[in-house]
Amino acid sequence: MRHERRTKLVFLLPAVVWVLCFTIFPLLYGLRLSLYNVKMGAADEFVGLANFRHFFADERALNSLAVTLIFVVCGVTVQLVLGIALALLFNRALPMRGLLRTLVTAPLFATPIAVGFLFVTIFYEEGGLINGLLGLKVPWLSHPHWALASVILVDIWQWTPFCFLIFLAALQGIPADYYEAAALETRRGWTVFRHITFPVLKPTIVLVLLLRITEAFKVFDIPFTLTTGGPGTATQVLSMYAYRVGMRFFNFGYSSSISIILFLLVTGIILVLFKRIRQAYQ
Amino acid sequence: MGAARRRKRRHVARAGWSLLAIAVAAVVFLPFYWAISLSVRDPRETFTVTGLGVPFVQYKPTLANWRTELATGETQKALANSLVVAVATAVVVLVVGTPAAYAIARFKFRRPSNQDITLWFLSQRVLPPVATAIPLFLMIRWLGLLDTRTGLVLLNVTFCLPLVVVVMRQAFLDLPVELEEAAMVDGASHGTIFLRICLPLAAPSLVAAVLIVIAFTWNEFLFALMIGSLNAKVIPVHMAGGADTRGVQFWFVAVRTLIAMTPPVVLALLAQRYIVRGLTFGALKG
Repeated sequence: MRHERRTKLVFLLPAVVWVLCFTIFPLLYGLRLSLYNVKMGAADEFVGLANFRHFFADERALNSLAVTLIFVVCGVTVQLVLGIALALLFNRALPMRGLLRTLVTAPLFATPIAVGFLFVTIFYEEGGLINGLLGLKVPWLSHPHWALASVILVDIWQWTPFCFLIFLAALQGIPADYYEAAALETRRGWTVFRHITFPVLKPTIVLVLLLRITEAFKVFDIPFTLTTGGPGTATQVLSMYAYRVGMRFFNFGYSSSISIILFLLVTGIILVLFKRIRQAYQ
Repeated sequence: MGAARRRKRRHVARAGWSLLAIAVAAVVFLPFYWAISLSVRDPRETFTVTGLGVPFVQYKPTLANWRTELATGETQKALANSLVVAVATAVVVLVVGTPAAYAIARFKFRRPSNQDITLWFLSQRVLPPVATAIPLFLMIRWLGLLDTRTGLVLLNVTFCLPLVVVVMRQAFLDLPVELEEAAMVDGASHGTIFLRICLPLAAPSLVAAVLIVIAFTWNEFLFALMIGSLNAKVIPVHMAGGADTRGVQFWFVAVRTLIAMTPPVVLALLAQRYIVRGLTFGALKG
């Protein structure tokens, strides 16, 4: 028995220690930094919650918060709806289904930084793909509202395949006799969806929502390359602002408090949905 | 008569859905096509060729851009760095992560419980990378690992570890216990059972986890930018550097984009079958 106890710790501990060293310790260190005014070449000065108070008086910070929230809400909603729609479509018998599915899945792991640069050429105003193809003159990247819309569109392009794949797997797990039984009652697709497909998908929807929200709040690469946060600060998401304050202006203390506010925000949202995930890992 | 009409209607509906699926796939794939089209175009034709830019019809394709880019020493070095960092990360993360996953799946922990340990690992994924960026930067500097591949491996293992632990835990839970019990009766140790029985049986999940780790690591940008500026420059950082100064050169952006994207995209497509489990952290079987 004693032997077994040692074995299980030998198996588990390396990973735990690794996370303690490289995630928990830096997080605590960041917490400490956020309470200080860190100056290069001088002793850190304890300032209490001043950095956090500064956040709520800082127009740029509040703007970044708003941009991030709009990005997450719009992006994730569209991805979820499109993901379900695509999964329903590809759950049918289609010719060349494998090939089409592969094409639709392709954007998922495309390097985000490269995706950002590629879409600069696609959104380009004169001679870009979209304006050129559709004969439009939309200022995709130079008008603040369009720029935010562009960033969200790219995120949708990249992450809808993620929702699609997961929903498709969930749909394929629904036993065929559910639908056969339903066919005796009604032929209306919408009714079948509302009373059979949707209830079965519900736990998956919560799961996808959770995974997408946590990832979406972290967004950095695409605005960094597609718009560099601009024009002005129209697409400067929170993680980008924190990065700039820290790595460009070397204000480590304030940068840390911005990141911690972002972290608390995500955690708060996750906790609301927490009960559901806990069940999934019983 | 009614039956014939119904059958006909079903055929029309089916053709409609098929067309819709083809249209969707075409729109989703369009950006890749556009990158390919730009990359084989003579730079002078960037803006003179309009619309879809169909090769052979609208212009004569050339591989000159590709040859120039791939012959650049910096590009070759960045490719090598990316490859080494991604593979090394995958190896280390498996060595550290799979035993932990096995422990959570097979042993009973009281305080904290197995479920709490799993959720603790999982919760690491919620943390925005930028929240630990500055402390990690200072730590890596303190360790003397700035601008080294070792530093990058260290960080990428950290980001991928929770995924591997949680996914592999589920994989081990899904294996039948009888085989292990039989081995135990024969006197095999937990180490042997883990290496000889569980890991081989969990191979599909293992492959999915490795491919996702390689793709994540290949794509990671924020930390690569912060700590790997010169010697340890990986592909995403290499791309960003070039694009700053040569932003409007479409052909150049296109070639580099494709160089960066192709490996992870191909990996993802190869692992399509197994990847759902990885993406949902084992909560859903694909």
